[in-house]
Amino acid sequence: MKALVLDGSREGDALTAVAVLGMTSALAGRVDVVELVKPRELAIAPCAGCFGCWTRTPGECVIKDDARDVVGSYVGSDLVVYVTPVTFGGYSSELKKLLDRIILSVLDPRFTVVGGEVHHRLRYRRFPKTVGFGTLPSPDPEAERLFAGLVARNGINAHQRFDVEILAGVTDPVSARRSAERLLDRAGVSA
Amino acid sequence: MNALLLVGSPKGRKSASCLLGSILAEGMRKHGAMVSEEFVHEGLRSEDGIARLLDSVDAADLVIFAFPLYIDSLPAPLTRLLERIAERRARIAPAGSPRLAVVVQCGFPEAHQCGTAVGICRLFADRTGMRWAGALAMGMGGSVGGDLKKLPGGGKNILEAIGMASESLANGGAIPEAATAMFAKPLMPRWMYTLIGNFGWRMQLRKNKARRPLTYRPHSQG
Ligand SMILES: Cc1cc2nc3c(=O)[nH]c(=O)nc-3n(C[C@H](O)[C@H](O)[C@H](O)COP(=O)(O)O)c2cc1C
Repeated sequence: MKALVLDGSREGDALTAVAVLGMTSALAGRVDVVELVKPRELAIAPCAGCFGCWTRTPGECVIKDDARDVVGSYVGSDLVVYVTPVTFGGYSSELKKLLDRIILSVLDPRFTVVGGEVHHRLRYRRFPKTVGFGTLPSPDPEAERLFAGLVARNGINAHQRFDVEILAGVTDPVSARRSAERLLDRAGVSA
Repeated sequence: MNALLLVGSPKGRKSASCLLGSILAEGMRKHGAMVSEEFVHEGLRSEDGIARLLDSVDAADLVIFAFPLYIDSLPAPLTRLLERIAERRARIAPAGSPRLAVVVQCGFPEAHQCGTAVGICRLFADRTGMRWAGALAMGMGGSVGGDLKKLPGGGKNILEAIGMASESLANGGAIPEAATAMFAKPLMPRWMYTLIGNFGWRMQLRKNKARRPLTYRPHSQG
């Protein structure tokens, strides 16, 4: 079993670094391979919104840079973890620039109905189980509610449930690991 | 009144976001507001560009984000700009508290799918000392382009909603709830939108002379 951890931390973000540490150590006992990708350190152009990954080279972005390479990894993983500072209830720009470049490549443009709403079909037979692991400097019910809602909505787009956990004001790796274990238990990721 | 329209689509002038935002801006000008336009993706390409964007936000009484929904939230570059505005406003106590209004549209038919993105913008306003001035959110963005009058029903709901919103915003008010509700009305039946959409992807594929089928899987799953 393979897990892909997307580290959406921004420069100097110690809280998210602790969350990544907690998550990777929790994963070590449960999966065979953990791959860590840090979009901040990669060359990733923003999505151009051209839909070329559907109508020119289906399944592949037309921009040839680091983001394109992550798609293969994403598709080949059993679990994907979004680790990110909760940014006004959303993802950080670092995580988002990568996700914007991945998402359409793993979807099939044709529409279908999921939970009463229109969404796209999935391109691959298996969409990795996905969880969101957000960090905040201190508890913030409004941001937490929005973040949980966003992760859940992303799950609907992938025809499954995405679980979520938020680390508010957690600075020690032991507590971060405990939260990560809780999240993985909830998502049914077991050794 | 000095307003700033920030277009958050990478497609720039060719985007549905720009079209809708520009109609709003034009309406506001008719009611006496000064409205300037900037493109977020362009601005973010250099530190100079970012500084210019941040300066124009500082100088505005009203900021309008016009953007497409990307993964139930804001496109990455607009998110980046939010982070930068927040940093600036935390560092130098800003003189004013500009208002923030939003025009967002998404590719799926249901306007409510834009809800999380609107929530993010609203929380951003709240946390950076800006005042929330409401949102216009719609689905079926894939059919917005060119001449809105050619849409089913002549795009009447969109134009009327933007009309109401522009008058209120130009007069220092917020987007009226009636405008929000009207803007959210579906442009056509859902089955029709998805039928046209599904057909459209295949047409595009053919037009582009793509060498792969629509459902191609370049990666193996082991
Ligand atoms: C990377 C990416 C992600 C998208 N995510 C969503 C989404 O989550 N929900 C949705 O309804 N539409 C989504 N869309 C569709 C756009 O919102 C839609 O095509 C919109 O009309 C584009 O507007 P623009 O012309 O202003 O760029 C996405 C498009 C792209 C390129």
